[in-house]
Amino acid sequence: MTTEAIPAPAAPLRQPDALDVFGEKLADRINPIVVKELRQHLRTRTFWVFFSLMLLACLGISLVAFVTAEESEKVGLVTFFAFYVALSGVEHFVIPYTAYRSMAREQEDETWVLLSLTGLGPRRILAGKLSSFILQGALYASAAAPFLLFSYYLNGIDLPTIAIAIALGAAFQVFLVSVSVSLATLAESKLVRSLLHFVVLGSLGIGAITGTSITIGLSEELRKSSIGPEFWVGSGSAFFAMVSTALLLFESAASRLSMPTEPYARGPRALFVVQALGGLVAFVIAWVVDGDDDILAGAAVSLAAYLAFVGLFIASDRDSMAKNHWAANGRFSLLAPGGLRGFVLVMLVMLIGTSVLVGCYGQETNTDAGVLNLIVGAPAYVTLYLSAAIVIARWIPHPPWQTPAMVRLVGLGLFTVGSGVPPLVGAVVSEGDDRSLNILNPVVGLVNLARDGSGAMVQVVVVWAVAAIVALGAFLVLLKKDVRWT
Amino acid sequence: MSLLEVRHLSRFYGALRAVEDVSFSLDEGTILGFIGPNGAGKSTTMRILATLDVPTAGEVLLEGKSVVERPDLSRPLIGYMPDRYGTYDDMTVFEFLDFFARAYGQKGKARIDRVDSVMDFTGLMPLKDKLTSELSKGMKQRVALGRTLLHDPKLLILDEPADGLDPRARIELRELLRALAAQGKAVLISSHILTELSEICDSCAIIEQGKLLATGPVSEILHRSQGAAPSTEVQLKLFTTAETLEDAARRAERLLLEQPLVKSVVLAQDVIRVRLELDAGSNASAVWVDEACARLLAVLVREAIPVCSFQTRQLDLEDAFLHVTKGRVA
Repeated sequence: MTTEAIPAPAAPLRQPDALDVFGEKLADRINPIVVKELRQHLRTRTFWVFFSLMLLACLGISLVAFVTAEESEKVGLVTFFAFYVALSGVEHFVIPYTAYRSMAREQEDETWVLLSLTGLGPRRILAGKLSSFILQGALYASAAAPFLLFSYYLNGIDLPTIAIAIALGAAFQVFLVSVSVSLATLAESKLVRSLLHFVVLGSLGIGAITGTSITIGLSEELRKSSIGPEFWVGSGSAFFAMVSTALLLFESAASRLSMPTEPYARGPRALFVVQALGGLVAFVIAWVVDGDDDILAGAAVSLAAYLAFVGLFIASDRDSMAKNHWAANGRFSLLAPGGLRGFVLVMLVMLIGTSVLVGCYGQETNTDAGVLNLIVGAPAYVTLYLSAAIVIARWIPHPPWQTPAMVRLVGLGLFTVGSGVPPLVGAVVSEGDDRSLNILNPVVGLVNLARDGSGAMVQVVVVWAVAAIVALGAFLVLLKKDVRWT
Repeated sequence: MSLLEVRHLSRFYGALRAVEDVSFSLDEGTILGFIGPNGAGKSTTMRILATLDVPTAGEVLLEGKSVVERPDLSRPLIGYMPDRYGTYDDMTVFEFLDFFARAYGQKGKARIDRVDSVMDFTGLMPLKDKLTSELSKGMKQRVALGRTLLHDPKLLILDEPADGLDPRARIELRELLRALAAQGKAVLISSHILTELSEICDSCAIIEQGKLLATGPVSEILHRSQGAAPSTEVQLKLFTTAETLEDAARRAERLLLEQPLVKSVVLAQDVIRVRLELDAGSNASAVWVDEACARLLAVLVREAIPVCSFQTRQLDLEDAFLHVTKGRVA
């Protein structure tokens, strides 16, 4: 059967020792993608070039530190951050970029299809990719660890600062790898791939520099003796935002790669709820700690912006769900697929968030009517623009208008027109922030609500009335499109 | 019950009807050729069967279970080889197959044994330590076939597996497929190289513009394509100088058209194609073709037509395909 020459017999095989057996058993248990990726990447030139470069850089820094150790009390701190920058170049740029390329190549070479057929499922495949690149990061970090420890013995830096900087760096690496792998799942066509390539390179470059600077800044801040609770609330919130966004992107990517018959909506929707309500909790804690009602206004606007953007993706899901989902979950499980359930979920989260904020506002003694206007008014704009996008996209009978992508485009278009055109018209006929012209403007309208205090109640009622009518329309349209399986 | 049953399958992309109302079935141990021009809907149908797409309407049953509703139950039974058989260039043949065996949930010694047996079957054993990027197209295609066999599927779906292969690799593929069918596997194979399919397929399904035009055993479709009246084709060549060739061919054409049973004569360069057909409903003897040919040749010789080659041509899958697809779907 074979057409090629049979090679000479190989040398006798070595008997596997206990370590080999353990390694084999371990490899059998872990995600096969991890084994594959490590096998592939440990033999690439990129890995060994950057590994050697990083070690060379660390060696150079160590020599400089050794020579200048007597000259300054802060030499340990400076040396540590020099090592950190060398490590971060690899951890926060090279590894996330390699992760992006690895995932994009699965689509380019059409090996993704083969992976899907194995029954691993998109989530396990993505998790495997993510884990393997985090492991690679750990390999680099383990090589740099002796150098980081060396900086401690040079004085000027304590162990907690080293530990916190490393923990933040590791969290940031996980975030960047997650973003890169998730972005790569968008690379379906050549054009998108070319565009994404530059977007990823640019984002990682900026992200690596910003992340490293923030980590160094935070570590420095931690060294100060007087750190207030605000610092911990801020840091905790930023950490939560980073981790939950990474998870949300991961789940969205897994969802995008799933079949309609798979439970693709559950992960992103669960994360959406966790992130929206978790963010709200962070704001409430900040309000309790600080006592400033401006934090409640900030919470209302942030929640509205989040619901408008992420909610647009959730509510613009394709219509209906596969028969097996219907059989498993029933029609009104909000984590089941379908635009109808997505829309209802967004509205429900908005209602809960608004109720919490109104409750907090009720606890205030010195109340500002502008803050209440924002808390009550911001959700109305979300409802209006989200519903309008659905109604308009579904109203046009031509098939491409019914797709999720088109609903999102219509939503973004409506927001752009709604926030940009009224001020322009106002500048010509009266003033840019004209109350009547900007009544449905999601940006200027909100600013007017905050500014006008108790005098803006009419505006709130009008916006809510329009939003409620459009929302009812959106609900009915989605209900009509939702197939009822018998 | 057939292993695979496709019932009224349709897949629409907006206004485009890629597949419409396609139904066929496939039994264990048989090879079904899926025939159609590019864009006919073959790959779309195969992707749905392989659980990579969902139909707009219709049902696909594998061992009586819905492939559409429970892809997780169907995937272990399906081995799918897409038209672009992707491989990881920086992995050896063994590593590639070992990875997919792991992905299919195989563990320890059983996994190694399975990979070895697949490499043995596909003739890849001598190449196990070679990088896949260093393999020829034929060998890469074997690696891809090996991958589809790792989990011992009952149904093999092969999308244009012979595309771009040299004649030797094609013959080897054909032998592998026959061996797989002999093991009891059902094979659905698409190709537009029809002569190749006719040699290995037990039955075929002809699809054009998303619609299934004919399905059944190859011999049955051939018989149907001949129409109600028994017919055959004779090809003859003339031996003469270039100057007199046209004149001789014209004389032969006139003479042939005057003969009974001759329905058409086509002049194609130096070949003359003659179609002989009995009247519909006439009682054809087993040797009617031989009798008609002998009579025709005798007439040509008597009239001094310089015939140097005279042979009957059996109708094949290509004729059946052309006959079935011609003008049926507008």
